[in-house]
Amino acid sequence: MIELHDVSKIFYNEETGHLVQALQGVDLTVGENEFVCLLGPSGCGKSTLLNLVAGFERPTAGRLLFEGRPVRAAGPDRGVVFQDPTLFPWLTVAQNVDFGLRNLGLGAAERRRITDRFVSLVGLADFARSRPHQLSGGMKQRVQLARVLALNPRALLMDEPFGALDAQTRDRLQDQLLDIWESHRTTVLFVTHNVEEAVYLADRVAVLAPAPDGIIADVPISIPRPRDRYSEEIREATMALIGVLADLPCCVLPSRRAGETPSREPATTKPG
Amino acid sequence: MSTSPGRADSGRPPTSAAAAPVLRVARRRLSLSGALIAVASIAVPLAIWWGVAALVTHMRGVPFPTPLDTYHRLMALLHGKLLVDFTIYRHLGDSLRRWAIGFSLAVGVGIVSGLLFGWSRLLERLSRPIVTVLQLIPGLAWIPVAILLFGISERTTIFMISATALAPIIINTTAGVKGVSELLVRAAKMMGADGRVLFLRVLLPGSLPHLLSGLRVGFANGWRVLVAGEMVVGTGTGLGYSMLQARWNLDYDSAFVCIALICLFGLLVERGLLLPLERRTVERWGLARAG
Repeated sequence: MIELHDVSKIFYNEETGHLVQALQGVDLTVGENEFVCLLGPSGCGKSTLLNLVAGFERPTAGRLLFEGRPVRAAGPDRGVVFQDPTLFPWLTVAQNVDFGLRNLGLGAAERRRITDRFVSLVGLADFARSRPHQLSGGMKQRVQLARVLALNPRALLMDEPFGALDAQTRDRLQDQLLDIWESHRTTVLFVTHNVEEAVYLADRVAVLAPAPDGIIADVPISIPRPRDRYSEEIREATMALIGVLADLPCCVLPSRRAGETPSREPATTKPG
Repeated sequence: MSTSPGRADSGRPPTSAAAAPVLRVARRRLSLSGALIAVASIAVPLAIWWGVAALVTHMRGVPFPTPLDTYHRLMALLHGKLLVDFTIYRHLGDSLRRWAIGFSLAVGVGIVSGLLFGWSRLLERLSRPIVTVLQLIPGLAWIPVAILLFGISERTTIFMISATALAPIIINTTAGVKGVSELLVRAAKMMGADGRVLFLRVLLPGSLPHLLSGLRVGFANGWRVLVAGEMVVGTGTGLGYSMLQARWNLDYDSAFVCIALICLFGLLVERGLLLPLERRTVERWGLARAG
């Protein structure tokens, strides 16, 4: 489904004039309908990897395939949920969900039906006519989810989507995401630096270390679903993964992040 | 971070029902003091005008028109008294038409160029010197160029209005497009937006807060040069032209009527067109700046 073969990405940092190696020799495969969490310390290139799969950036070297074809540009077959709620502030919730449907050239009635369905699916039917600035952080993330699900993507690419939310909201949205994933069955590549989150959500956790290391561990999480986030199994799997992460450099200089998404705050102020 | 981590995700709108009566009282008080301020903002300048008129008439012995004199003359003109061979309606209409054509041209050209310059770094860098120079040229400096291009005609005035309104519209639209978050552009592309959709549904609305500032500055520039242009080019009608002619005839009352109308219609366009446009868009989207 998603295949990365020996993928590298080098950025040129315009401010410092240095080249920054964000990814080096990364191999990763995500299977059909698999839920894979990409785990790693801040600044290790997780977001870069996701941006490559999304088609926002091109790999410097290596092969990157989506459904057997090289990724050339972004498109609605890969629905991206960003960490920052990138909703269009001038559109209502329903119009935000409708945005992508218009590009598909569907009729108005069809679009209306799909929009209603997905706005309701994420529990925002009462807010269909609200604008993003009237919503809480969690609600905005639900709109982001609705607008990509409405496009019936082959894969969901999620970049720390719950990273900026409070713990209670995060838990609720994780459960909601799992419900939707179970009923809609798509492939999910989910970037996080939160170990518990990765273990609770994923079929498989891939641990990404800063370049030049690449994927240093690929751990299947075989705990049956539905999972109990407070269970002993989850706790054990979490502890095991924390052991893996403990060997990694945790504090990476901000300059390493130069190539990552522009309007992101520096690694040191990240929540979690 | 635009999200407020403290707010629970309970799906409740920001203002609760219990606070509504308090808010209503507060709002009524606010609108009352707002009305007082609005009255004062007109009454105080009028009082100053009156004082200056009285003082000048007394000290220099020339009849400086008072607000009342001006009002009487306005009424006379509105009832059909001719001013420099034409009715006041003709002068006003011609001025507004020239402004509308000139400003519309500037808006059209300015927004399209601004969107392009904001989108393409190359185009922006190529155009930067021209736009900067354009911004520095005072409106009246266009007169030789405009007269050579169009002769003594209405098009000369229209050209001058466009030329002076253009730079701030281009500059602000460019800044607006460049200010649209890269993440929004990525999100749009991810949802299958092509170039046209990106321009019309992302970059244009995304740059609107800046664009509206540009329109306001451009409007003010164009409005000023309209009056100046009519005075200098002199095509026989228009508020600026008749203001100057009235002065030659020592008809200061009529000149003051023209000044008052220029102020009034300028205020009307600003308050009646540009401000509501800002309210209906930028503020409703939660992008409003204070004030």
